[in-house]
Amino acid sequence: MLSIEYFQVECYDETGREYYEQLAEVVLLDHNMLRVVHKLHIFIDPRIPIFVATGVTKTIHSHITVNDFANVQIEGGKVTIAIGEETYLSELLRILWEKFGKDHVDQPDRFTIILNLTKEEAQKIADMVVVDPSENLYRDLIYALQVIAPEGFKVRRQYYGKERFYYIASENTLTESADVLIREKFALMGESL
Amino acid sequence: MILVPITYKGGVFRHDEIVDLIEDLGGYIIQKHMIAQEVVIQAIVPKDDIELIQKIGKPLTGDVTPSPLVGTEIAVVSMSLEIHHLPHASCDLAEYIRRSGAKSNMVGLSRGFGKRISQMNDEERDVINEHDCAVYLFGNFETCIEYKIPVLRRGITVPIIVCGAPSRERLIEIINPPVAGYVGHVGRFMHRTKESEEISVLDDVIAEVTRVLDEKREEIAKDPLSVSPARLMDLIHEQVQEIHEVTSPTPVTVQIAGLRVKLPYDFFAEKIRDIIVEEGILLRKIADILPSRMRDYILIRIHPFSESNLLL
Repeated sequence: MLSIEYFQVECYDETGREYYEQLAEVVLLDHNMLRVVHKLHIFIDPRIPIFVATGVTKTIHSHITVNDFANVQIEGGKVTIAIGEETYLSELLRILWEKFGKDHVDQPDRFTIILNLTKEEAQKIADMVVVDPSENLYRDLIYALQVIAPEGFKVRRQYYGKERFYYIASENTLTESADVLIREKFALMGESL
Repeated sequence: MILVPITYKGGVFRHDEIVDLIEDLGGYIIQKHMIAQEVVIQAIVPKDDIELIQKIGKPLTGDVTPSPLVGTEIAVVSMSLEIHHLPHASCDLAEYIRRSGAKSNMVGLSRGFGKRISQMNDEERDVINEHDCAVYLFGNFETCIEYKIPVLRRGITVPIIVCGAPSRERLIEIINPPVAGYVGHVGRFMHRTKESEEISVLDDVIAEVTRVLDEKREEIAKDPLSVSPARLMDLIHEQVQEIHEVTSPTPVTVQIAGLRVKLPYDFFAEKIRDIIVEEGILLRKIADILPSRMRDYILIRIHPFSESNLLL
């Protein structure tokens, strides 16, 4: 896995380890998580049983503004937005409706939005933030880890913050030793929680 | 006359000639699919006449291949129906088994996942027991497989084929008492099987299922069934007209030693029991007509010769 600086699956069972390594790669790729994860260490011991995933994410700065996916033309107070990429259209419409009211947002066809605004407001449209990817990022990341982890491990705990995350799951109650384990695994990556 | 299972693939044009030919030769059509301009017929035909079918099918772009699994119903047991186990590998395998002629049903356990927490309920057990054999799809760790197999095999009377990530040799070592078949290197994975190595593993599963079912057939041959299931299927089609209104792809599913009839048990059980197999012999004399645990279907279990003293 090239885009992840550190990626390791640790397990005493070599066959299982290989399978989980492949599985983690496929799931992270499918969930589009490779752009997000910087380091990842997975530890599995089915004898206990326990599954621990610890990792570090990359810093994500990019907010998506109207300019990124649409062309904005301003003629006086009339703003014409020509949508290039439809992915963010529904989110943009939701924001515009909330801000100006449905009656003032005209959408003559699927890819065009026309607004009648004051000059000041019109200038702000192009740089308006539509989507902040970091909002859903951790939710998606935890979901991906949940898919990687064995299904029967229903007792779980997760954490994210300060670009660090962990996901720990077992069939049994998680004891205090789980915290020690998490710290150990962060140390293996040369990081600390 | 030895009947062997085959698959015929060819054009739709004049395919009814092949259907007539198989019937005239004394064979039985188990299933017929029409996909666009292609027709796929799964049938049991006399061994000596395969060449004749090939010869007549050739101008119709027909191709005959032996399919040892035609006329069997196989349960593919997935540990759950969550994204962890579906669609790969369970669906990939179920579809591959179907391609080789068997009718495969997927049995998704409600609580089969995990190690200590793995369970199977009575409905799941009974549904699995209605099949000819069960293919269990386990996960990646031998510790888990070793731990949970006693729970998941309890009460199962049909042959079990265990698939898991450990090698076949390891599976044989850890499973005690032994099961009917083992296939290694089929663990939990989440991508479609398209590489040639992965496909060859699926072929291994088919080979193992075929071996297990051949053993079962041999066992049955020692005490043959009173009537062949394929022949009984034909009789049902002739004598129970309502079967033609069932929209399911296989209204009558042929098994090695019985049949599943997809009609409601309460309304049709008596009618099925009264099917005339031969003059003076009703079906009730040579088979048990039971309610299936799969929906409200009917399950027919044909008695062996030793029980009915009849060979029709």
